[in-house]
Amino acid sequence: MAATRPERPDGPLIRMRGVSKSYRRGGQDLLILDGMDLDVAAGEFLALMGPSGSGKSTILNLIGGLDNADAGEIVVAGTDVGRLPKSALSAWRARNVGFVFQAFNLLPVLTALENVELPLMLTPLSRKQRREQARFALEIVGLADREDHRPKQLSGGQEQRVAIARAMATDPTILLCDEPTGDLDRVSAEQVLEIIQELGRKNGTTVVMVTHDPRASERADRVLYLDKGVLVDGSASAPAAHPR
Amino acid sequence: MSLTRLVWRSLLAHPLRMVLTVLAVTVGIFLYCFLTSIVGSLDAAVKAAAGNRIVVASAVSLFQSLPASAAYLDGIREVEGVETLTRFTWFGGVYAGENAPSPQFGVDPPALLDIYPEVQLPDAEAKAWLEDRKGGIVGRQLAQQRGLKVGDQLVLQGTIYPHVDGSPWTFNVRGIYSSTKANVDEVTMHFHWSYLDDTLERGEAFGPRGSSVYLVRIKQGYRGEEVAAAIDAKFERGPQRTRTGTEAAFQASWIGMLGNLPTFLGMIGGAVVVALLFGVVNTMTLAARERVRSMGILKALGFSDAVPVRLYLLESLLLVGLGGGGGIALAWGLQGSFQKVFAQFVPQYAVGQDTMVVAALICLGIALLAGLIPAWGAARLKAVEALRQ
Repeated sequence: MAATRPERPDGPLIRMRGVSKSYRRGGQDLLILDGMDLDVAAGEFLALMGPSGSGKSTILNLIGGLDNADAGEIVVAGTDVGRLPKSALSAWRARNVGFVFQAFNLLPVLTALENVELPLMLTPLSRKQRREQARFALEIVGLADREDHRPKQLSGGQEQRVAIARAMATDPTILLCDEPTGDLDRVSAEQVLEIIQELGRKNGTTVVMVTHDPRASERADRVLYLDKGVLVDGSASAPAAHPR
Repeated sequence: MSLTRLVWRSLLAHPLRMVLTVLAVTVGIFLYCFLTSIVGSLDAAVKAAAGNRIVVASAVSLFQSLPASAAYLDGIREVEGVETLTRFTWFGGVYAGENAPSPQFGVDPPALLDIYPEVQLPDAEAKAWLEDRKGGIVGRQLAQQRGLKVGDQLVLQGTIYPHVDGSPWTFNVRGIYSSTKANVDEVTMHFHWSYLDDTLERGEAFGPRGSSVYLVRIKQGYRGEEVAAAIDAKFERGPQRTRTGTEAAFQASWIGMLGNLPTFLGMIGGAVVVALLFGVVNTMTLAARERVRSMGILKALGFSDAVPVRLYLLESLLLVGLGGGGGIALAWGLQGSFQKVFAQFVPQYAVGQDTMVVAALICLGIALLAGLIPAWGAARLKAVEALRQ
């Protein structure tokens, strides 16, 4: 992968302080995060667990700059994400963040290779270099022979591996995975988790993964549970259900 | 991989929809060019009419011939302000195997060439025509359409003036003229009026004697309206009342015979453009609705808000560009065929450069409008909300 990653700051790579977020649903304000604090170290693999609607995905969206917090401070790789103007935020996201979604979110009209090449268009690489790097990323996830296949011609597991290749193609500082195995069978899920874990370990990428799956969380360095808008350490919160 | 490829792939994701939209734009822009060209060609003839020419027609009807005797001719010539004049008789012959009559007129050749400096004819061909009573001159477009050249014979079946024995009329092509102004078309054949009259006189053909109209050039310093009024006054008591007007007024009255057709055609052309706009906006809105999630993905990957705007504008420009280009090309390509079809009513039919430029600008306007509507929505879209869909 490209070695263009910015220098890491001292201290945690992700630092969230007093972060609050509420949504308006059915005419009511629903408090999702309530003054939440979170530190994630550089190169750490963190799993976020918790009941549906507890705000796990919201945390990912806030870290990735897809959503804004109502209050608090979010500093990622030395950048105060909440204070970046919209245009700068897009560019920052392109450089620093890779997303892997539960629903894969590949563009259906593009081939696997083109999907992986997409975020590379935001880099200064030449067309040829982009193509080579996208091929390399597909090779890493074991799909070199499927580069010309459209998403609908791939299995769920393969689609997710393409999505991982896309997320990692730009060598981001942070990989944000939202239920990456939620729509996969056990075998495919294990393959995907293996790749995420391996890539994180080899590239030193910080991984924050939201999951409901205890087996997925087992691969993380640390597990946090989100309950009623507050994060609780996994070992203290639900050790029986989610053993470390 | 490029944004253009992404747009192209998005279009090809629904090939039937793309083809239908492109075809709709092609037909719409073709119709616009076609209708505008008809109206424009009619208008051009009026605008290009000369101020020193007047047309003497029957006060009864344009289809009622005026007497063509030398005495009647002299009667007009004697009116103060009249310089020279020619008879102009609609012949209405048809080519072999065709039904619709084409424009041919029996004229007084020297006077015609004198009155119409717009008619450009090489001196040698003019001389040959003047010397051959069975000779005629044909417009450049007509020559191209029919593959005629100087020296050929032009064979026409008389409809108003059929030969008694049923045989066709044969004219010798003595010249091919071109026109410098829109009021003189290049699809007409002019021949000696005397050849027609002599044939009628000898009883070899049937048909009304006389002249459909007289074309008069007035002397310098005289006003067309005054000379026209003097001619009408002179023939107030016969042998046949006249209605004389300027060439522009005559051209306008000829168009007026088509009723409000030019206005209706213009309105239809405008309506076609509006319908086209709605159609393309509908296609683009539908496409945008289907691609909300894709736009969310692009934004999540780090593409700025400007990218969806560019994507939708490019898509709309491609759609309308393909269709509009096809429509303009079709209108231009079918020009020759329509000139044949409309030779009698709109002999100057031509798809002008200005019409094509306006059509291209209309396409650009439609593309921008149809692209900006979904683009605006996509630019405002939040990635989080888009990804939830």
